[in-house]
Amino acid sequence: MRENKFSNFVVRFAWLFIILFFAITAVFATQLKKVTLDTEMKNQLPDNLPTRLNLDRIEKLFGGTDMAMIVVSGDDILKKDTLERVKKLSKEMERVKAFDRVLSIFTAKDIQAGGGAMRVKKAIKKVPTSEKKLARLRDELKNNELIYGNLLSKDFKHTAIIGFLKTDASDEAVVAKLEKIVKDNPGKETTYVGGMPIVRVSLTKDIRKDMKKFLPIGLALMVVFLFICFRQARGVLLPFLMTVMAIIVVIGLIPLLGWRFHMVTVILPVILLAVANNYGIHIMARYQEDNTEGNEHTNKTLAKNGIVRLTNPVLATGITTMAGLLCLMTHIIIPAEQLGILATVGVAFAMVGSLVFIPAILAILPKAKPIRKAHEDIKASKGVLDKLMLGVADRITRRPKTVIIAFFAVALAMGLGAVLIIVDTNPLSFYHQEAPIWKSTKVLNKNLGGWANISVVVEGNIKDPKVMKAIDKLESHLQKHPLVGNTTSVAKVMRKMNEVMNGGDPKFNKVPDDQKEIAEYFMLYSLSAPPKDFNKIVDPEFEHAQVIAQVKDSGTRAATEVVEYTKAYLAKQQKGGPFKLVGGFLDVMANLVEHIVRGQLLSLFLSIVICSILVALLMRSVVAGVIAMMPLSVSMAMLFGIMGYMGIELNLITAMLSSIMVGVGIDYTIHFLWRYRDERRLSDPVAAVRTTLTTTGRGIVFNALSVVIGFIVLVISAFFPVRFFGLLVVVSITACLVCALVLLPAVVLVFKPRFLEPKTN
Amino acid sequence: MPKGRRSIVEKHKQIIGRVDIMSRSNVLKERTRFLACFVLVAGLVPAGAFAGDLTAAQILGKAYANRELDGSDGTVKLTLYDKQGGKWTQRGESRVIEVKTKLVKEKGDKIEKKLYRFVKPADVKGMAVLAWDYEKAEEQMWVYRPSNRQTIKLVSSDKSGNFMGSDFTYADMNAPILSNYTLKIEKSDADVGGTKCWQIKVIPNDKTKDEEGYSKKVIWIGKNDFMVRKSMFWDLDGDLLKVLMTRGIEKVKGTDKYYIGEMSMINKQEDTKSVFKTVKKVSDPKIADKHFASDKLSKP
Repeated sequence: MRENKFSNFVVRFAWLFIILFFAITAVFATQLKKVTLDTEMKNQLPDNLPTRLNLDRIEKLFGGTDMAMIVVSGDDILKKDTLERVKKLSKEMERVKAFDRVLSIFTAKDIQAGGGAMRVKKAIKKVPTSEKKLARLRDELKNNELIYGNLLSKDFKHTAIIGFLKTDASDEAVVAKLEKIVKDNPGKETTYVGGMPIVRVSLTKDIRKDMKKFLPIGLALMVVFLFICFRQARGVLLPFLMTVMAIIVVIGLIPLLGWRFHMVTVILPVILLAVANNYGIHIMARYQEDNTEGNEHTNKTLAKNGIVRLTNPVLATGITTMAGLLCLMTHIIIPAEQLGILATVGVAFAMVGSLVFIPAILAILPKAKPIRKAHEDIKASKGVLDKLMLGVADRITRRPKTVIIAFFAVALAMGLGAVLIIVDTNPLSFYHQEAPIWKSTKVLNKNLGGWANISVVVEGNIKDPKVMKAIDKLESHLQKHPLVGNTTSVAKVMRKMNEVMNGGDPKFNKVPDDQKEIAEYFMLYSLSAPPKDFNKIVDPEFEHAQVIAQVKDSGTRAATEVVEYTKAYLAKQQKGGPFKLVGGFLDVMANLVEHIVRGQLLSLFLSIVICSILVALLMRSVVAGVIAMMPLSVSMAMLFGIMGYMGIELNLITAMLSSIMVGVGIDYTIHFLWRYRDERRLSDPVAAVRTTLTTTGRGIVFNALSVVIGFIVLVISAFFPVRFFGLLVVVSITACLVCALVLLPAVVLVFKPRFLEPKTN
Repeated sequence: MPKGRRSIVEKHKQIIGRVDIMSRSNVLKERTRFLACFVLVAGLVPAGAFAGDLTAAQILGKAYANRELDGSDGTVKLTLYDKQGGKWTQRGESRVIEVKTKLVKEKGDKIEKKLYRFVKPADVKGMAVLAWDYEKAEEQMWVYRPSNRQTIKLVSSDKSGNFMGSDFTYADMNAPILSNYTLKIEKSDADVGGTKCWQIKVIPNDKTKDEEGYSKKVIWIGKNDFMVRKSMFWDLDGDLLKVLMTRGIEKVKGTDKYYIGEMSMINKQEDTKSVFKTVKKVSDPKIADKHFASDKLSKP
């Protein structure tokens, strides 16, 4: 039996530690109810970031940019019944107070020329009753560029009623209202409720659902796994309890820090399920190893022995895991940063708990019935795994150089696939493309001018023809981009009015040259129709205008492309030019890409370096650090290669993977090197590799298995990226495992690093 | 035409004191029809007499009739405000509109002719709008644009929204057709800023609710002068939407009619405010007809 001051202290004050851990957990448990969800995309970026500041600026000038909509699809929108229905839907949407503006074929205007007069009228004044009138309306709508191909599809089969949300609107209330409006106005046509509020509400609901599924199923899987390992109540219950407590503590910590539960946070409890029980498992395994039939231990000495033997390995693996997780802090994306901190706290709690709380309970409980026979020799058992390990050991020891070359060749080939990785930041991508939530977006992209916007804010005297002409030029430049569907600006309206005021002569479809003329046109419009019609494109003071381009491809690449195209145009304007900023939903989306990629590279690089430094310190050798980098680099090349070749997107969720995997995967390397160094003192390198693989190798496989089982629950998630995350964990853990058990032995056999060689040599 | 011989019916067809630069022709027609009925009542009951026995409809009818002149000349200013940091602030030149108005009522042709000439904002100074409201035909409107010295005809059919971006809707400024409402005198001795008022609850019928966007209005009318002191408007969800306050009610010189010096409408839901000020108002029944010709708009 071994003991030290620390183990004596823990066992002596066992009750105190037990109460302390329960008390801490209880305190955090009281916070659980205060956890709130946040699914707003822009809130994932710090609020002092230019992208967010720009968006806030736009919303202050022109009201909310967020849209919720009802899309109506049928054989022909211009049918009496259909029009009546759309009219009702539009009317009722106009009454929803959360909207500061509603756009539909019934709120839109038509500016017409006729008989030497200008006529501003509602695009559809009355639902036509005769076929003749319907035909006339169809012709009118075809010529109305404020509607055609935008609020009404060119084939007359789709129309959208769009509400712009006030900045303080509640998503839940808006979605409930829209659903009620659709329910109250049934009809033959298909209707889709769409827009970001719907996506956010849906995400919130599904996050809750996911959490409800993950915890029971994940915990059940864990119980089964623990029972297979230990076949004893305490072996199952103690690591289980420790994990549950760690989960309670970190989730309770969220509101205490003033944070909110984001989409990414979904994987937090799962990380703990998978990782936090490892330390408890080690303690229980040691307990059973010591508590063989006929041993002379007491319950207290068994506890002490566990502490003494395992403090160093648990600290070593725990600290490397924490280091990997903390590297998530290099992300500027708020939920990623928070995830890193929260998971680190959880792992720390479980790690300390496994060295204090679990042994304290073991010291108080009566000694368990021994499960293992005395001197049970793992090597003697001839299970499938042992045969496999022996087979692996044989092959490696025969041709270690070939193994190394093969590994690096595969890693290189796979790593090249990383360039194919697509980054995706569209919140809709949390759902499968066939999911109902995508329907309205698809209709918008195909038929109604595009699903989301990018805006350019113009500052200056908007009535100045120079400014107005610049707006016009920008708009037509944006319109030229193949991914841009519809564009909107005050210059478009101005051109139309000029044409109408000049007898409908298309020659005058241009911005007038005289400011007085422009001012008069605005006045004329406000004499004919409410000037509020313009409130999204020019402010009432005529000091700011907004040029809006809708993008008709919901891919993140499209967003980035159009944002860059727009910014490039602005960069070319002369100093003091009227264009002040680019912003909007798509800008946030494009900006997230940059931050995900930068955060990904930085956190990955940093986690590999820090983990290697930790290994170097642990082994007291720089070479050890370099060797530790090899399996990590190869595993990560595999991970990113698979993502690239299989078309799995890098997004907010999958970007979390690499740092977590580095932190977890490094453990296998540590375990291997540690044991090999011990074995090398007793035998030659080949025998040492064989022994290490059949003893510690077995443990490493179980360890990896427990991580995979912990994460596998993610496969049932409602969210696509979370499911892929689950699959990728299997891939990367397997890669780490294979690297530790195949590549590492080959490396030590070929290079025979000094730090592993016996000192007497 | 001598003032005394003008019929009460004709007088009641004119609605001044509000800045109805345009009014919907169908509204006008209905309004005129209503006024024709109403005149019977108003004609039988002179102002002030038997006031205690008036019905809500009679009081409201009188309130609108009380502001009508046969002809007038004046200047009106509309200023738009926003609430910023708890204070009403007025931003930008474009949000002050000052207009010189002239109005005449032509009895024979049953036309109300209105001329508006912009003083502010500066960039539309000199712009003029002439509107002919016929009793039985669509309104005609001409606009003179100083930038190219041309007069064009303007046809407009959408008067559903707010007037020139203000918090007043066209419906707020036009005389209502009282048969579309259920009226009730809630109080006969209400007090608004020291003035004894009738407090009248006005509930529109369903069609009117839909058109105006109000589920309920409450109007306070001064018992001495039959002038509106205050109105409150509730939206279709039954939430308070707007509050109208009037100030500076004075008699138009040489008449028994009144004008309202200032009308301020506050939108409680949007935190915006619009103020109409009558800078000048002169009764001029003999105002020359030449002002109201579409080919003379270029002459200030």
